[in-house]
Amino acid sequence: MYGKGLRTLSIATVAMIAASLALVFFYAPLDADQGFIQKIFYLHVPLATVALVGFVVGGIYAIQHLRTGDSRYDMRSYVAIHMSVIFGVGVLLTGSIWAKASWGHWWVWDEPTLVSFLIVFLLYATYYPFRYAIEDRDRQARYASVFAITAGAFVPLNFVAVRLAQSLVHPRVFATADGGLPGQMWLTFLASLAAMALLWVTLVKFEMTAKNASAQLSRLRRALDREGSGAGSGNARIAPGVATRPD
Amino acid sequence: MLPIAAPALPLDEAGKYVAGAYVVFVVLILIYVAIMAAKLQRIERELTELASFAEQRGNHEGHPGGNPDTPGREAEDVSGSGSEEAARINV
Repeated sequence: MYGKGLRTLSIATVAMIAASLALVFFYAPLDADQGFIQKIFYLHVPLATVALVGFVVGGIYAIQHLRTGDSRYDMRSYVAIHMSVIFGVGVLLTGSIWAKASWGHWWVWDEPTLVSFLIVFLLYATYYPFRYAIEDRDRQARYASVFAITAGAFVPLNFVAVRLAQSLVHPRVFATADGGLPGQMWLTFLASLAAMALLWVTLVKFEMTAKNASAQLSRLRRALDREGSGAGSGNARIAPGVATRPD
Repeated sequence: MLPIAAPALPLDEAGKYVAGAYVVFVVLILIYVAIMAAKLQRIERELTELASFAEQRGNHEGHPGGNPDTPGREAEDVSGSGSEEAARINV
């Protein structure tokens, strides 16, 4: 039962998001260089961090799926990747807005951090057509797991490569010669990160609950259908095309 | 080009960008919730349909298939007792 504890988790998420927004706008000091526009940092960076970690989590579930053959891990891998792609859309949009405000351009092609995230995002965008191009359910799950593992391994490699590129354009606020973020900003950032992580977990759980409910519904249809046809009662099938419908 | 060296935008100009970023985030979440709500509606509709079908069949076979006051109990029983092996991804 994936829905267990979902209400508590949702309440905790809402409370944490409210607390982090309060910290962002009423507690964290204004950045000396960027001023008020730096407030986007507390949304953009946690979103990106959680999205990238989510991709890796999807890969870990995929490993478990290949090791055990349990389709539940395949579903978890799919949902983790799906949610991270949605967060990725948020990263690209908020990043573009921040870029426009800071640099005067919506997108900067010679900046490794932006382009590398776009590459990761586009890589995962191909996960859906790749997955659903395969009709056989078991093969689909296996191939999708292989994809998730390969792409999941690419994420940290990509991160390290970008770090090594030593870009001068993208701000490195965590470790600078001046000592990085001040304490109040760190606290606010950590609260925002926790809020985003909680949101990700809540939405993943929400999605898995919905998928499980839908799968159980299909299972119920099939069970009733078998019972009906086995009893020879002459009743119509529960729903036309149930047997051929992908569940 | 360096954001570190760039002067801070005045608040009235920076405010619209900050608001834009946070609004985009909220809208994204709302779109997701709306899509999930549509899926939930479909599940509810199918469950209602199944409950009616099970009741009808129960009546035809001479043993009522469930309490009409609690439509969908059959679905709860099945989903609650079964393993989650059947948990497959719905397209």
